[in-house]
Amino acid sequence: MDFNKSDIQTMLLDSAERLLAENSGIEYWREQHRNALGFDEARWKQFAELGWLALAIPEDAGGLGGSIDDIALLNVELGKALATEPFISTAVGAAHILAHASNNDKSASMLEDIAAGSIRIALAHLEVGSDHTSSHDIATIATPDSDGFVLQGSKFMALDAPSADKLIVSAKIQGEQGVALFLLDNDAAGVTLESYPLIDGSRAADVAFDSVKLSSDALLAGCNAGETLLGEAIARMSVALMGQAVGSMEVSIAICKDYVHERKQFGTTIGSFQAIQHILADMFVASHQARSMLYHAIAHIASDPATRDGAISASRIVIGDAGKLVSRNGIQVHGGYGLTDEYAISHHFRRLMKLEKLFGDVDSHATRLGNLSLGG
Amino acid sequence: MDLSYDPELENFRLEIRKFIDEVLPAGIKHRQRTKVLNNADVAEQMEWMKILNRHGRAVPHWPVEHGGCGWTPQQLFVFNEELYAADAPEFDWGGTHMLGPVLYTFGSSYLQEKFLPMIRDGESIWAQGFSEPGSGSDLASLRTHAELRGDKYMVNGQKIWTSGAAHADWGFFLVRTDREVKPQRGISFLIIKMDTPGITVRQIPQINGEAHLCEVFLDNVEVPAEQLIGEPGMGWTYAKFLLEHERTTSSFIYWSKRELDRVKDIAQGEMIGGRNLADDPQFRARFARVQADLLALEWSVIRVLAHEETDFPEAAAASVLKIRGSELQQEITMLQVDALGAKSLRYFEPGLIAPPPSEMWPDYVAGRTNVALISRAATIYGGTKQVQKNILAKLAFGL
Repeated sequence: MDFNKSDIQTMLLDSAERLLAENSGIEYWREQHRNALGFDEARWKQFAELGWLALAIPEDAGGLGGSIDDIALLNVELGKALATEPFISTAVGAAHILAHASNNDKSASMLEDIAAGSIRIALAHLEVGSDHTSSHDIATIATPDSDGFVLQGSKFMALDAPSADKLIVSAKIQGEQGVALFLLDNDAAGVTLESYPLIDGSRAADVAFDSVKLSSDALLAGCNAGETLLGEAIARMSVALMGQAVGSMEVSIAICKDYVHERKQFGTTIGSFQAIQHILADMFVASHQARSMLYHAIAHIASDPATRDGAISASRIVIGDAGKLVSRNGIQVHGGYGLTDEYAISHHFRRLMKLEKLFGDVDSHATRLGNLSLGG
Repeated sequence: MDLSYDPELENFRLEIRKFIDEVLPAGIKHRQRTKVLNNADVAEQMEWMKILNRHGRAVPHWPVEHGGCGWTPQQLFVFNEELYAADAPEFDWGGTHMLGPVLYTFGSSYLQEKFLPMIRDGESIWAQGFSEPGSGSDLASLRTHAELRGDKYMVNGQKIWTSGAAHADWGFFLVRTDREVKPQRGISFLIIKMDTPGITVRQIPQINGEAHLCEVFLDNVEVPAEQLIGEPGMGWTYAKFLLEHERTTSSFIYWSKRELDRVKDIAQGEMIGGRNLADDPQFRARFARVQADLLALEWSVIRVLAHEETDFPEAAAASVLKIRGSELQQEITMLQVDALGAKSLRYFEPGLIAPPPSEMWPDYVAGRTNVALISRAATIYGGTKQVQKNILAKLAFGL
C-alpha cells in the first residue's frame, strides 16, 4: 500500500493546477454556463494537449495507459475547479468501451480522435424507471434486419450528449439475453435529442431512437461482452465522479475555513464560536471518510464484478452522504451569502448534488450493497 | 500510488490465522464469543497472554529488544484483525498498549527491567488512573497530589472511571507534584501497586449490570520515588505521547469489524414478517450503510498507518478515527440490538458463562445488549466527541 504520488501523477496535478487555477471562479463559470456547449472548446483542446484525454486510453491503442488512480486524481482536480468539460463521458467512459470493444475496426482511429480532442462521445444508457445502478435493466431494443439493426427506444439524461459527436447506446438485441453496445452519430436519421442544462451548468439530453437504421458495424460489443464492458465503464466513470466529489468537498471546506476566519458577528470572527467549529469538524470528518472510500473504490476496480460493484456502492454511499453533509453545512456557515450565485459555495453545492445522483443515488446504492452483502 | 493489496501481506494473514487456530484454546474461544461481559475475563486474558508470549507474539508492536516482532504497521493491523475475528481475548490494553510504550520510551532501565517483562508475560493486569470527579474533559485540572518525602511519594486524592481497578495488580497514575506551575507542567506519571495501604477501590454499578469501572481513593499512599516515570512535571507530555502513539487504536476497527459480522449472524437467524431479517430490504439498506461507513474507517486507519502525506497534521486524522470509531461502535451495537428487536430487552446476568441457548434464545442473543449499553461510553472516554471536534477545529482549521 503506497499513497505517495507517482511522477506522472505529480506532473498531472501540476499541470491541472496551472490550467484550472487560471480559469476558475464565479465569472469563468458564469461565462461557461451561458456558452452554447456549457464549456470552453479552447480549454478542451488544452486538455488534449496536456495528454489528459489520452490518459485512460491503453498504450497499445496510442494512449498514455494511465491507471485508475491517475484518472481519479485528475478528477479530484477537475472537481476542485468545478470543470464542466465532458471529461468523464468521453475520456473515461467512451475511451474504455472503445479500447475494449471486440467488434469495431473504427475504434482505433476513434480513440486517436478522442485523444486529440477532435471527437466527443457520450454514453446513452440510463432510462426513466430503470435501475440506475445496473448495467442490464433497460428497455431500448435493437432488432436485427438485413442491413444490421433497427434501434427503438429512449434514453434519459445522457450526460454531455448535447456537445457529443457520437453516442454509445446500450440496448437489448431482439431474441438475445444481455445488453449490447452500439455506436452511432448524434445526428443520425431517427435520433432526436432533447437537450437541457443541469443545475451545475453542464449539459445532458434525453435521446429518442425512432426506427434508427444501424449498419452491422455499429455494434461495438454483443450481448454478453457489451454488458461486461458497460459494467466496467460505469465503475470507472463512478470512480471519476467520486474523485470530482472529493475535490469539490475539499475545496468547499477550504472556502469555509477562509470565510469563518473573516466573517465577523457579535464583534468577533464567527470561527471563534464552538458551534461553527464543530460544523467544520464534522465537514472535515466527512470529507476524510470520502477520500478513504475513493481509495477503496480504486483498490477494487479490477476485482470480480460483484466485489467491484459492492466496493463502488459502498464508496458511493459514503461519498454521497459526505457530499450532502459538506455542501449543506457549507451553505449554513455562509448564512444568506451561501445561497447566492456570487459565492462559490453555492456552485459546489450544485455540483455535489449532481454527483450524488448520477448512476444511482445513495439510497439505490445502499439497496444494491445490501443485496450483495446479505442476499443469497 | 499503489492501492492494491500486497500478496505478501495476504500470506502473512494466512500464517497468522493458522497460528491463532493452533494456539487459541477452544474453550476460551467459545466463552469469548458467548460471554455476557464487555471486557475479557481477567484469568483468561492472562492465560492467553502467556500463550502468545511463549510464541514471542504477546507484544508484537513493541521494539524487538523488548520482545516485539519487528512487523510493519500493516502486519500489526492484520494480526489484530485476525485476533478479533477468531474471538481471542482482548489484550490488557492499559499495560500492553498504553503504559508499555511510555515505559520503553521514557522509563529508567530499572523501571523497564521491572515492568516490561511483567506486562509482556501476562503476569500483571493494569489500571489507568487519569480521570477525577472534577477532571474529566479538563484533565489538566486534576488534583490528586503526590508529595516527595525522602525516597517516597505520599499520594492523596481520588480517581474515577478507572477500568478494572478492582482486579488490577498495578496502576499508572497522573498525579500533581507541583501546584505552583502551569497546570500541565505540574503533573507527573507514577506507577502504584494497587494493594498498597491507603488505597480503597469501589466498583461502580453500571448501566449494563457490570461494575468494571471503579473509583480509586488514595489516602496517604506511600509510593517508592523510583516509580515515577521519567522526569517530574513531564506526566502531561507522556500522557499525550501515549494517546498519540496509539493513533489508530481508538478507531476500534478490529472490534467493530467482528461486531458487524455478529449483526449478519443475527439477521440470518431472526425472522420478521415471515422471512429472515437478512431478506428485509429496509434492513439490508441499513446494514449496507453501516458496512460502508466501517470500510471508510478501515481505509482511514490504513492511511494513518501508512503515514499518507496530507496538507493537515496527522493528529487531525487521529481525531477523525476516534470520532468515527466511537460512533461506529455505537451504531453497530445498536444495529445488533435493533436486529434482535424485543429479544434485546431480556436482562442476562453478566458473567463469563452465558445461559444455555434454546430455539427461541439462540446463542447470539445474550451479551449483545450488555455491550450496546456500555458502548455509549465510547464517545465519552479518551476525549469526548466534542473535545475531539475542538481539537480538529484547531489542528485542521487554525480555529
